[in-house]
Amino acid sequence: MASLVKSVKKNATLKKAPTRPAKTTRKIKVDPVVTEIVRNAVVAYTEEMKSNLMRTAYSMIIYEAQDFTVGLFDARGDIISIAIGLPNFVRGLSDTVKACMNHFGLKGMQPGDVLLTNDAYITGSHLNHITLVVPIFEGRTLVGFSGCMAHWADIGGALNIMTRDIFSEGLQLPVLKIYKAGKLNEELLSIIQMNVRIPERALGDLHAQIAAVRTGARRYLELIGRYGRAAVLDGIAAIMDHSEALARKRVREIPDGVYEAESFMDDDGVDEGKRIPIKVKVTVKGDEMTVDLTEVGMQVKGFYNSGAAAGKGCCQVAFKCLTSAMDKPINEGSFRPLKIILPPSRVVSATKPAPMRRWMTYPMTVIDTIFKAVAPAIPGKVIAGHHAELMSAVMNGQHPGDGKLFILYGGTPGGGWGAKKGADGANATICINDGDTHNSPIEQVEAHYPVMVEHYGLREDSGGAGQWQGGMGAIKKVRATSDYMFNTMVERVYCRPWGLFGGHPGLGNEVRIQIDREPEIKFPSGKILGRPMKSGEAYVLMSGGGGGYGNPLERPVEKIEEDLRQGYISRRRAEGCYGIVFDQKTGNIDRAATLKLRGRLRGLSLSLARPEMEDAALVEEAIEAIDAMEIPAGLYLTDGRVFPFRCC
Amino acid sequence: MFPAPKEEVPVPPVSVASTPKPFRVAADVGGTFTDIVAFDEKSGEAYYGKTLTTPEELVKGILTGVDKAGTSVRSTRLFLHGTTVGINTLLERTGAKTALLTTRGFRDVYEIGRINRPESYNLFFRKHVPLIPRALRFEVSERMNAAGGVHVPLDEAELIATAAQLRAEGVQAVAILFLHSYINPDHEIRAKKLIEQHCPGLFVSASHELSKEYREYERTSTVAANAYIGPRIKTYLGELQTRFEQERFDGSFFVVQSNGGLFDIARAQRECIRMLESGPAAGVIGAKAVCDRLGIANAIAFDMGGTTAKAGVVLGGEVLMAGDIMVGGYAEGLPIQIPLIDTQEVGTGGGSIARIEEGGGLRVGPQSAGASPGPVCYDLGGEQPTVTDANLILGRLSATNFLGGEMKLNTKKAEAALKRNVADRMKISLTQAADGIVRIAASTMSNVVTRVTTERGLDAGDFAMVAYGGAGPLHACIVARELRIPKVIIPPAPGHFSAYGMLMADLRWDFVRTWFKPVNTLKFEELEELFSEMEMEKEGLAMLKKSVKQNQIVCTRAADMRYVGQEHSVNVELPASVFKKRDPAGLKSHFDREHLKRYEFNAPKEPAEIVSLHSSIIGRMPKPVSQAMTAGQIAKRKTPARRKVYFTEATGYVDTPIYNRSELVAGQRIKGPALVEEYASTTVIFHGDSLEVSKFGDLVIQIARS
Repeated sequence: MASLVKSVKKNATLKKAPTRPAKTTRKIKVDPVVTEIVRNAVVAYTEEMKSNLMRTAYSMIIYEAQDFTVGLFDARGDIISIAIGLPNFVRGLSDTVKACMNHFGLKGMQPGDVLLTNDAYITGSHLNHITLVVPIFEGRTLVGFSGCMAHWADIGGALNIMTRDIFSEGLQLPVLKIYKAGKLNEELLSIIQMNVRIPERALGDLHAQIAAVRTGARRYLELIGRYGRAAVLDGIAAIMDHSEALARKRVREIPDGVYEAESFMDDDGVDEGKRIPIKVKVTVKGDEMTVDLTEVGMQVKGFYNSGAAAGKGCCQVAFKCLTSAMDKPINEGSFRPLKIILPPSRVVSATKPAPMRRWMTYPMTVIDTIFKAVAPAIPGKVIAGHHAELMSAVMNGQHPGDGKLFILYGGTPGGGWGAKKGADGANATICINDGDTHNSPIEQVEAHYPVMVEHYGLREDSGGAGQWQGGMGAIKKVRATSDYMFNTMVERVYCRPWGLFGGHPGLGNEVRIQIDREPEIKFPSGKILGRPMKSGEAYVLMSGGGGGYGNPLERPVEKIEEDLRQGYISRRRAEGCYGIVFDQKTGNIDRAATLKLRGRLRGLSLSLARPEMEDAALVEEAIEAIDAMEIPAGLYLTDGRVFPFRCC
Repeated sequence: MFPAPKEEVPVPPVSVASTPKPFRVAADVGGTFTDIVAFDEKSGEAYYGKTLTTPEELVKGILTGVDKAGTSVRSTRLFLHGTTVGINTLLERTGAKTALLTTRGFRDVYEIGRINRPESYNLFFRKHVPLIPRALRFEVSERMNAAGGVHVPLDEAELIATAAQLRAEGVQAVAILFLHSYINPDHEIRAKKLIEQHCPGLFVSASHELSKEYREYERTSTVAANAYIGPRIKTYLGELQTRFEQERFDGSFFVVQSNGGLFDIARAQRECIRMLESGPAAGVIGAKAVCDRLGIANAIAFDMGGTTAKAGVVLGGEVLMAGDIMVGGYAEGLPIQIPLIDTQEVGTGGGSIARIEEGGGLRVGPQSAGASPGPVCYDLGGEQPTVTDANLILGRLSATNFLGGEMKLNTKKAEAALKRNVADRMKISLTQAADGIVRIAASTMSNVVTRVTTERGLDAGDFAMVAYGGAGPLHACIVARELRIPKVIIPPAPGHFSAYGMLMADLRWDFVRTWFKPVNTLKFEELEELFSEMEMEKEGLAMLKKSVKQNQIVCTRAADMRYVGQEHSVNVELPASVFKKRDPAGLKSHFDREHLKRYEFNAPKEPAEIVSLHSSIIGRMPKPVSQAMTAGQIAKRKTPARRKVYFTEATGYVDTPIYNRSELVAGQRIKGPALVEEYASTTVIFHGDSLEVSKFGDLVIQIARS
């Protein structure tokens, strides 16, 4: 009791370091050298937090998949530096820090506190995202926060089903203190232990997270000790101002205007086949950009919702990609020229009790749609649509070795990325919400889980044709060597990655099942939940290809020849999508005939409304039109030009 | 601990006594310079030679350098060699036409990689580009399971048909990677044999020969790189050998590996990938030797050159190792999975360019003026101010005495460039700009130093720093102060330090083998057998026995361990006591302690497992004994020259004594501020810092506590 009284007294003297207002017109005089040293230092510190977490985390999903985000924040909770982790969690961590701060208030926090929450509507994501926050005090003064979100392999809740509310998704922890003035909250630990399936792993990850946030806090205090509080805080303010100035300059380079685009998600897994509109409006005026997500679909019954932090996160990710992609540290200043309009209860601003387990999927399509909207304004800076899916396969069951429950996050084969002006899209690369995420080595997975991988390769012909071709997706085929429960939650099977400026869409994502050695069964939807998989059965994940960029007829014959040589595309595609004519006898490209055909195709002009929707009726209509014009079989018409089709 | 050999291998007499040839020579062939250090064992004197590296005639460059150092290969009994040929062949993509043979279903693993995007927000990111194009990656029907059992037998007929294709394609080298070969290499061994039979003359390399660790992509990349550079390295070393024979060289010849150890030519010609980072590795070995002679247990090896700064760690008298490296950088690079000395690198060097970035901040590097055009003051056409220019303006470099006066520096041009590009635009004085640039460069470098220590839970402040490379001594005291490092050591000839380090290297063989095993069910007999197997490796053993005495052969054992369920493992040394006690619980608590030390927490109640076993076999070479300098008559020495040098904002420009290193004597003490100049380097000593010359000629600087 005595110590409690004492700590209350202590709190009474706590104060917050003065921070400058978010936007300032006052030019403060800062030491440019100390500022640069602070810049280097905060990047190094957050990288250290990251490596510290990765090296000690228990879960493969933290170490290999890098499903985490760490950062340092100022006394207002604004981002000083973030190390990614999850690119789309750029807002979630800062919003969570702010929520923690508001919950306890300045007087409710003291040195030695470690705050914790997994409130899905604060983090904007799912309950697996346990977030820790350490308020950093220099003496009695709050000078900032150190924060860390990491994905726990399990947080309880129902497995193998489509959840319909947050309560079925696991343990919910409001903003709490796991350490109070340096003292561990044992009761909270017991509650966690009782509610998660693999407690030793959860507590291991928790320890790793605590070590990481404490490291960040310690380094930040060392920096202040070395250069003085005022110099460091002024330096941080100056870094944010630099980033802001830079971002504004880049926005000014975008022509003013209102840019809109729309795309669709397949369905929410409950109302099958009911498309969900992702409609964005981007307004550029002077040095400010506004992204309006009002017309994005309303929150859904299935678990594909995410919270406002994720919705805002999408806009910030897209904005950063376009304005300051490589700048470090990732900080609040970069985002100041961006305004976001996001009313509640949309799929990316869901409210309680919406289910959130697959929070990460829809935001990726929102990001791509923002690129699509601004493409006419800045054609050289955007990319065509990508596969936009993590493509996970989640398996659980009894391990044949020790009989214990195992949960395996498999899949993640990577997928095709959109082409851009000047370069083909990347092949088999992780989707945009996941940054430095790695796939798991086959040799590692097979050594630890009852699976055998039969094939892992590029998906030929899957990238959209174009002057620059979309990246190829990947195919991964995995056979069960014991019985387990199998789940996939794959989206964008129907709404395929779109092309830009005449580029073709890539192939959509796809899931197949093979029973023994029978032919593979293509699933009409990418969503398979709670399927008991028998030993000997296999699943096949086929990730989509990226959209193409520019008219395929402009792709140099040499490049097509090289793609053929390497087996990236088939002859059929070369003929059907690129207007290549082969010499019947030699099998080589007939250059003269190719030139002639390509010239003829360029002269034609027809259009399809929404090629990425692959509307069967429109395709039929187009084919009929082509047949009438006596053009070689199968051509694809889009964006006011004629392009080959039926190649894929 | 070293097992007795089963058969008697004749041990040739170590040639020290019987030969009059007194020289021990190291040649470090870098991208720009070939450095030679010749050590005369009779006199204990070292001689240095520096020549420009001539890519077309590397062998000639070496011979010229040896000549410059005042000796010849004929009077050399031990020749040690490190080269950048391998790494340059990889980076410049000038290797052989190479094919890959791999397990059916997996030819794209090499191209897919780990699917990650380190540049998370960069829409224009680029993936690694494989050294072997898809059309030359062939699949073979075969499959091992994770336990090492044959799931699908090797289809030999199919393989032979593929061999014909390889011949038809005209490939020069073949890499073989089969899944799970780390645990059972039978198929790889057989496939290699068949390819060698059916494609005589090809360079064939199988993954298990280089790495017995899991991770198929990394192993593919490793074996592919080895095959890709193989033919070139093989030819190069062959030519070198022939040429040396013509010059009547009859001593021993060894090549430096990235693990800091030496290996013989025959093996170097096959396992070329092991010599990739020989120069940086040798530098750290040199730093360790300096620590040994000064009685220092913990030190950071800090190497700063023209374009990069590198840091390695000596902890408890041992050099810290890493398990892999990304050649070409983390974002787009190719992984090489072999044990090597852990060095971290940052793109900050003397040639790093200072500029005002778009947002208005002052940045230093990573863009570099390189050797050509070089810094503005070189007067070779460079227009952008660099760290070297800043040092010149601050008076820390001499305009007339650079490279022993061989190169005059143009201060006026440097000042004009710095004023134009930085000072005027930031509205600060020229001095403030120059000082700022050096401090920013130092902070970037101190961050790279912390990376090698903090990642292991170590504190840089508990280490000494051995600084070398042309620009190391210039910045060492600033970096040290930044990190609260109390002591800095500048060894003699810091500009030739990697070559010097080669002289201090031992024969070394590192084995790593993945072996997933829970500690509580571990059988020590099995563990002992696996270690013995590695330690008895025939070829390595033969090489050692040929070159050193039996009692100079030592083995160390270690294991990668982790708590069950954890992904990342910790490398834990296994002392002999662990094997004596044969107590799994003892091994477990040993691991618990290490984990706590490195990561500030552990879980004694959690079960642990072994991931990989590490074994190092070291043949201790007789080392050159550094001759102690005579404590000369300090009174006799000349009065040092003086010039104005800027130190800090508080001191401004100070009239500073400039010492010539060759005139210093053992035991001499110098108080900062002072400069010590030598041929390729200048040491800056700040106010409050004090220097003492060790009896081996090292400059030992105590850094004042700020």
